[in-house]
Amino acid sequence: MDALTSSAARDAIVEINDLKVWFASRDGIVRAVDGISFDLLRGETLGIVGESGCGKSVTAMTMLQLIPSPPSVIAGGAIRYNGADLLTFDEERLRAIRGNEISMIFQDPMTSLNPVLTVGEQIAEPAVLHRRLDKHAARELAVEMLQKVGIPEPRRRADEYPHQFSGGMRQRAMIAAALACHPKVLIADEPTTALDVTIQAQILELMLNLKREYGTSIIMITHDLGVVAETCARVVVMYAGRKVEEAAAAELFSTPLHPYTQGLLSATPRLETAPGTRRADRPRLQEIPGMVPTLKGEAIGCSFAPRCYKATAICREYAPRLEDRGNGHVVSCFNCGSA
Amino acid sequence: MAGTALLDARDLKKYFPLKRGLRRERKHVRAVDGVSFTLGHRETLGIVGESGCGKSTTAKLIMRLIEPTAGQVWFDGVDLTTMSRRRFRPYRKRMQILFQDPYASLNPRMKAGAIVGEPLRNFGVPASESAARVEQLFDRIGLHRDAMRKYAHEFSGGQQQRLGIARALALEPEMIVCDEPVSALDVSIQAQIINLLIDLQKDLGISYIFVAHDLAVVQHISDRVAVMYLGRLVETGDGDRLFAQPLHPYTRALLSAVPKTFSTVESRRIVLKGDVPSPVSPPPGCHFHPRCPEAMQRCRRQSPDLREVGEGHRVACWLHAA
Repeated sequence: MDALTSSAARDAIVEINDLKVWFASRDGIVRAVDGISFDLLRGETLGIVGESGCGKSVTAMTMLQLIPSPPSVIAGGAIRYNGADLLTFDEERLRAIRGNEISMIFQDPMTSLNPVLTVGEQIAEPAVLHRRLDKHAARELAVEMLQKVGIPEPRRRADEYPHQFSGGMRQRAMIAAALACHPKVLIADEPTTALDVTIQAQILELMLNLKREYGTSIIMITHDLGVVAETCARVVVMYAGRKVEEAAAAELFSTPLHPYTQGLLSATPRLETAPGTRRADRPRLQEIPGMVPTLKGEAIGCSFAPRCYKATAICREYAPRLEDRGNGHVVSCFNCGSA
Repeated sequence: MAGTALLDARDLKKYFPLKRGLRRERKHVRAVDGVSFTLGHRETLGIVGESGCGKSTTAKLIMRLIEPTAGQVWFDGVDLTTMSRRRFRPYRKRMQILFQDPYASLNPRMKAGAIVGEPLRNFGVPASESAARVEQLFDRIGLHRDAMRKYAHEFSGGQQQRLGIARALALEPEMIVCDEPVSALDVSIQAQIINLLIDLQKDLGISYIFVAHDLAVVQHISDRVAVMYLGRLVETGDGDRLFAQPLHPYTRALLSAVPKTFSTVESRRIVLKGDVPSPVSPPPGCHFHPRCPEAMQRCRRQSPDLREVGEGHRVACWLHAA
């Protein structure tokens, strides 16, 4: 991937620069996102991985400013979309972007679909708002989108309500709604986490097909490294509100540099389907000791240091800077060698 | 096998009645529809399947937390299903269960020490003895003894699951039924709990029924694996061999659907069409036939039984019927 090498040559559609999102809580400020930067290139699928509370969803929601403020405060940074900083947009300009140029799909399709509107109305809603489609055209669009996402009998299904759909079908409907206006950017926040693996496979395939058709750039937020490996060209690993590593997906999985990334990979049991493997020969899962820190107060040093087997005195005092180790493989760690 | 098995489930069925409609016909959700398996001493049997396949209902049936519609559960040579509640009570000590959501299964008004000690109190262990035992259990599961004075909400998800494990261990059970015990946990924590369960088995000789939807986790922890689909077992066998050479088309599709982090073996994805049918009106014949890429005429009419196809490997599929 040569495109990774020089940032000037990159054709970024979204650039996030030193974004900080804080929450006011009873016992102080929670730094949910603490200075994160990454670019989403045109036509690319970028993965953001991390465990609960690492700030991956907050980052995504902030892109469309979907988090109410208060309690959230955008404490700094910029989110540039086609060069313009979305954080300076007023509500009206944001609305022109949401669901039109940048769309989002969520983990739980049941709670993000409106139970009292038909699925068809919801799929066409963004197009009705942004393109002033009339009733007839809206319905035709809904039927067309339902067909695109592979729902049988789309004409009948368009008039049904979300509760009449199964989980996988609801997720398809949500994807249909998100893509109804052919957005340039799709943010998918754990789009398959609530689904069974066979349905997950269907949904991922669908997303990649639609991406090919529309040239959408996708941000795939997930805790599932397998989903990332399947779908993403590049991956950002987040821990405790910060980016700890970023690399091309293949490289990240073959030579992870950050101890946290290494830990995540070796803590995940891998499905062995090669003949002749024996359970007795399989290594013990590597544990990452301790737990994710609370993000209250200012973090001193590397936030992973308390759980890191490589941590030294310097890690507890200073936060390591992100360093490029070549090929766009970026890591923030004092103690891991070069790629 | 039957003679040495710790647990022997025979043709278990659980039909949940649906509310009666205007007409008098009574419909049922056939959550578990004729499931048989055995569990040996010190063995781990993994039960995998997708939501609604009946794996959790099976777990509850084994523990007699719900009564089966038909079938039997034999434990250590005794049929538990026909036993009176009173006679069953001693068996409760010997089998325990671990749930998916640790927080929901811990009493929010009790301190951690009391939660872990509760089974001991219930079975009349004197307080002096039980206090020492609880301390021992906290050491065993890797929680500090000071934590005994905390409430459940003060623990993280992983620690809460550790408390659940300590409570399950309190009465020194021979078998623990684990119902999705790590699905709600982050991977780094999940690894801690899986390792703990494996260590406990080595040290204490416990047998596990491990119910989960994550195939990699199940393979990692299980000796034998049973694959469930819509209330029935479709394939069982040694975990590694079953995953290396799956025979049932559903098992194959399920395995191929798992995203590979580093693909050890390049395999073609079999994408199943459609959703799992409703267990209220399961399709006739083989339950899997409407989604099966290899369905034949016979599959639509007749349901295949589990048949032995190789050392301990059994499959319910007409493609593999002798």
